[in-house]
Amino acid sequence: MRYEFKVALRYLASSKFQTVLLVGGVGVGVLIFSFMTALINGLTQFQIDQTVGSIPHVVIEPKEREPRVLPSDHSGTEVLAAVQRGTVQREQIRFWQNALETVENDPATRVAVPVVAGNALVTRGQVVEPVSITGVRPEHLSEVAAIAPAIVAGTANLDLDGVLIGARLAHNLSVEVGQPVVIRSDRGRERTVKVRGIFSIGIESLDERVAYMNFKSAKALLDLDHGISRIEVKLKDLDSAASAAQAFAGATGLKATAWPEKNKRLFDAIQGQNSTGGLIKFFAIVTIVIGVASALLLTSVRRKPEIGIMRSMGVTKGFVTKVFVLQGVLVGIMGALVGAPAAYGFCALLADVARRPDGTPIIPVDPAQGNYLAGIALATIASAIAAILPARAAAKVDPVEAINL
Amino acid sequence: MNSLIPPSNDAGTPLLSVRDIFKTYVQGEVETEVLKGISFDLFRGELVSLLGPSGSGKSTLLSVLGTLLRPTSGRFTMRGIDLTGAAEVMLTAFRNRNIGFVFQYHHLLPDFTAIENVMFPAAATDGGETDAIEERAAMLLARVGLGARMHFKATKLSGGQKQRVAVARALMNRPALVLADEPTGNLDRESAEQVMELLAEINAESGTTFLISTHDPDIAARCHRHITVIDGRIGETPPFPRAAA
Ligand SMILES: Nc1ncnc2c1ncn2[C@@H]1O[C@H](COP(=O)(O)OP(=O)(O)OP(=O)(O)O)[C@@H](O)[C@H]1O
Ligand SMILES: [Mg+2]
Repeated sequence: MRYEFKVALRYLASSKFQTVLLVGGVGVGVLIFSFMTALINGLTQFQIDQTVGSIPHVVIEPKEREPRVLPSDHSGTEVLAAVQRGTVQREQIRFWQNALETVENDPATRVAVPVVAGNALVTRGQVVEPVSITGVRPEHLSEVAAIAPAIVAGTANLDLDGVLIGARLAHNLSVEVGQPVVIRSDRGRERTVKVRGIFSIGIESLDERVAYMNFKSAKALLDLDHGISRIEVKLKDLDSAASAAQAFAGATGLKATAWPEKNKRLFDAIQGQNSTGGLIKFFAIVTIVIGVASALLLTSVRRKPEIGIMRSMGVTKGFVTKVFVLQGVLVGIMGALVGAPAAYGFCALLADVARRPDGTPIIPVDPAQGNYLAGIALATIASAIAAILPARAAAKVDPVEAINL
Repeated sequence: MNSLIPPSNDAGTPLLSVRDIFKTYVQGEVETEVLKGISFDLFRGELVSLLGPSGSGKSTLLSVLGTLLRPTSGRFTMRGIDLTGAAEVMLTAFRNRNIGFVFQYHHLLPDFTAIENVMFPAAATDGGETDAIEERAAMLLARVGLGARMHFKATKLSGGQKQRVAVARALMNRPALVLADEPTGNLDRESAEQVMELLAEINAESGTTFLISTHDPDIAARCHRHITVIDGRIGETPPFPRAAA
């Protein structure tokens, strides 16, 4: 292979202009590939972040109780029964520490957040507003919702006597940071807390109807002394949600739902743009194949007399084939090594420079998610495949015909 | 110059034995019968010219004997091996080890230096330019008078020099037979004579067998024996002035 390599390199070096064009072409293909990957992945992340706040990848909830249908002894007669879900017991995860520990120790898990949730009324003076309470440990707040960056007054401080509310709710209640409000849960418990922070996420329902509290105080308020409402899990790898959910369900005996199931429309939208992106990436690779194949085919025609003389010297078809495939591989590698850094630079530039006045990116491209290694590998493989046809054409050169040219 | 000598173990029997070779070119509907029953023997160490008018089939015959073209019928053996029906892979390897070619046009690889061109037939089949290969190539280039131009790009040499590199390349793998198709046809008189001189000397030194097609009586006169092809058959060799012995 060493000598084939030398010949291939010499051929590439001798037609410098063509080689530079080819390497540039492959480079552009890799650039498009990695840019699209960075864009689609960035866009996906952006949508997930924007649409649902930081959504959990898997939600673990209590199993819905199977309502029992009492057997009738009227055998042979049809029984019609309307079945209603049991309302006698509250839905909560009991023995949640065990379940939490199991999930936390799973290697797929990045973080597992115990959450209590319930409904309450916030009262200040004569104004009463319904809210839904979410109680988490202070260190978990950022995992459950992007509150901290949305704080417009006060801080995202979740101490035992504090509450974080949305800007619209604050407006409706005419409260400011530091002022007390009374929260009464639908379990009849009541607590006076101080507003520590006011957030504005930009989604009306959240800014008007959601309040965040400390895990412990929310537990007491919602009368969940021995249980929690759910465990929200963030995984290391977003794509493993379905399998992780299954594993969690099996290990805990609870109901575990992966995010695509909980957010069907978002998931479908993301799927849609992924397949569009996939198509563009596919065409980028096809472009590489066509470019490399046509250039090498021209080379094989131009070098026909040389190939003929080689064959007359007793150089094997295999040798000629390898020389051409190696040219493809070399062009692929060089193009990829040019294209991948260029793609990274381009993405980084876009992410850095193209921003709205408020600092959010215009194009939510994530340079870290360009999948550059895949781009390099695919470009190299594509170039090698592209070289097969010209290599076969070259190996088929008839020495007599070529020498008489 | 001992290293120029090809291995000889079957002296006495013909190196090349050609029997009743026919070759018909088929181009669509048109069939051209070019070789019409050629038979002759070549012995080791012979220097033979191949003569005949233009279009008589000399190049076709050389291509057949060089295993580049399959005869339509007939048989030929070299070193006792029947090459008529041999598989392509086998013929390629046989050619590499046993046959050297020199063509009218030098056909050097333009992107390689003189010595790289000479090394090519060995390097391409022996996995690279080993020291031994380089040594022999340098020796051959010195022998053809280009010791000082070894590292010149092929394109930087004169026509005569290029053809001498081609001769050195043909000898690289110590072939038993060199087939030369009008090797001086593209050269001026002086270069032509130099090249022919070289072929004759190498033949004398090494015992390599040469079959050289030519239209040039002076070139033919340097050969020991003449085979004339007329209209695809072996014909009478016309008289021409003999070179001084
Ligand atoms: N590939 C081919 N297809 C069809 N006919 C061919 C082909 N090659 C050669 N011929 C014909 O075969 C005949 C012999 O050609 P060849 O080249 O062997 O002659 P030659 O003796 O070498 O002539 P010259 O002295 O001019 O080189 C010619 O009539 C030529 O047209
Ligand atoms: Mg001819």
